[in-house]
Amino acid sequence: MKTLADLKAIREKAQKEMKLRNANVRIKVIVGMGTSGIAAGAKEVMKTFLDEIATRSLTDVVVSQTGEKGLSSMEPVVDVVEEGKPRYCYGSMNVEKTKRVVAEHLVNGNPVKEFLISTEE
Amino acid sequence: MQDLSLHLMDIIENSARAQCGLICITIGIDEVKNIMSFEVVDDGVGMDEETLYSAQNPFYTSKSERKKKIGLGIPLFKENAERCNGVFKMESTLNKGTRLYAEFEYNHIDRMPLGTINDTLLSSIIGHSELDFFIKVFHIFKDKQTKEFTLDTKEIKSELGDIPITWPDVIMYLKDTINEGIKNIELEEF
Repeated sequence: MKTLADLKAIREKAQKEMKLRNANVRIKVIVGMGTSGIAAGAKEVMKTFLDEIATRSLTDVVVSQTGEKGLSSMEPVVDVVEEGKPRYCYGSMNVEKTKRVVAEHLVNGNPVKEFLISTEE
Repeated sequence: MQDLSLHLMDIIENSARAQCGLICITIGIDEVKNIMSFEVVDDGVGMDEETLYSAQNPFYTSKSERKKKIGLGIPLFKENAERCNGVFKMESTLNKGTRLYAEFEYNHIDRMPLGTINDTLLSSIIGHSELDFFIKVFHIFKDKQTKEFTLDTKEIKSELGDIPITWPDVIMYLKDTINEGIKNIELEEF
């Protein structure tokens, strides 16, 4: 069973890592979690982002949830926001596509053009 | 919606949009009374009586930018609960918060499966890292034995200090904690 003592160990390890790396948030990922997004599978997409961030130890990526923004036919919708770069919006996401976005865009910095539905400067 | 964990996700999102600071979630199976219940309480902006009534209407949405006035989240949940001899209640006070309660007959043939409630909880906690969550999951067995799992993100955040709850190792910790906790109380699907 996990206990609060385990958290203490995590905190100590994280503090060391923060000193070594630049621990600022570099990329924000926003998953649309409105009713239509959820019905279209946004929960699995969110779960995949969380799993990938945890297993790849992506300390400079933060994923959050938001309501829908009127793109119901393109759900699940995911925005990737990085300072000084355009806002990339991916549509009709699923687990496999999410894994590619993590590997190619978040890790290697190359947006996956074929899944993009908009790019806002 | 294919299972109840998706409905719960939807309801939590409503609370998160209501500018709240704390969301209390209670999920329970009571085999003595034959009910499965969900309660979500937030301390957000709340609703006046008219809005509260309208929220249960599928042709109402709080989003002013919407051209087509549709909001299916709450009406679908309500319909599902009532179809299973259940109860659906919403109470709200303006500027105080909202409480939503849904109850299903546990062994009703039309009751949807619970689904991966662990994923719903983890996603909400990390996806709304600025909010606090108090989560309680309980299971009352036929012989009245009770098992319970609780999680308080306030406690976790204070233990973490300056480390954000969105830190990869913390996500892993929360995932394991929630999975173990839910498995220990023997919710049917786990």
